[in-house]
Amino acid sequence: MRVLLVDDFATMRKIIKNVLKQINIESVVEAENGRQALSILKAEKIDLIISDWIMPEMTGIEFLKACKADETVKHIPFIMVTAEAQKDSVVEAIKCGVDNYIVKPFTPEKLKDAIEKAQAKVRR
Amino acid sequence: MNLEDDMDVRYINPFLIATQHVFRTMLGLEPVMAKPMLKQERIASGEVTGVMGLSGDKRGAVAVSFTKKGALFLYNTLMGDSANDIGPEVIDAIGELTNIISGQARKELERQGLNLKAAIPLVVTGKELETSFITKLPIISLPFYFSVGNGEREVMYVDFSFE
Repeated sequence: MRVLLVDDFATMRKIIKNVLKQINIESVVEAENGRQALSILKAEKIDLIISDWIMPEMTGIEFLKACKADETVKHIPFIMVTAEAQKDSVVEAIKCGVDNYIVKPFTPEKLKDAIEKAQAKVRR
Repeated sequence: MNLEDDMDVRYINPFLIATQHVFRTMLGLEPVMAKPMLKQERIASGEVTGVMGLSGDKRGAVAVSFTKKGALFLYNTLMGDSANDIGPEVIDAIGELTNIISGQARKELERQGLNLKAAIPLVVTGKELETSFITKLPIISLPFYFSVGNGEREVMYVDFSFE
């Protein structure tokens, strides 16, 4: 599985990569923001998108909307990773078509479960 | 002065739960909270301090402040690294920890009917820095102790105030 990991903080990308490694996912492409991530999606085959919410240039929600509006990309499971755990944030992400949502901090097991649920959702 | 006179103590628990949850999940550490204090000065409690402004039902700020040694220990534990100075990567990590603790605390506060939004975290370094962005005094300061190995402990502070 090839994962596109989008986060403006290099440290957070490293942390999430470590967590992915613990669940045997080692093929990870990194992007600093939604705009850069969209370019990668045009050029590479990606099986899963994990994106932060708050980022400069293009936020996670804007990136999510762009992905779900693109016929060639919308089938890729999209997981939003954020520190925002409030109900209205969750509702906003769901309305925009997110396939799953995970709140920081999380364990490898929780991320694995979120990936499986996101994959099941796009298969339906 | 006692805490009950100045601020609803209900606000302490969300920050306690959030800090312990974040440390346990991300770092495998069990921080122990000492007695909360009231601060009358807008001075950062530690040497590396992550700060977030809060808005919504109330306006305020939360600051998560570490000693230099504590910040380095947390960074190295989190990243499996061996940094010995406060560089940009350590600052990034402290900003992210502040963001995550704040997010978890706001989730707990929402359960009590208090909805707050946070700004982007800012990290400041240095001793006795003025935190003028915290508008309301007193500031509630929650000291947490965590083990850094060899029987040693470091302290960190979660400081907050709402108007």
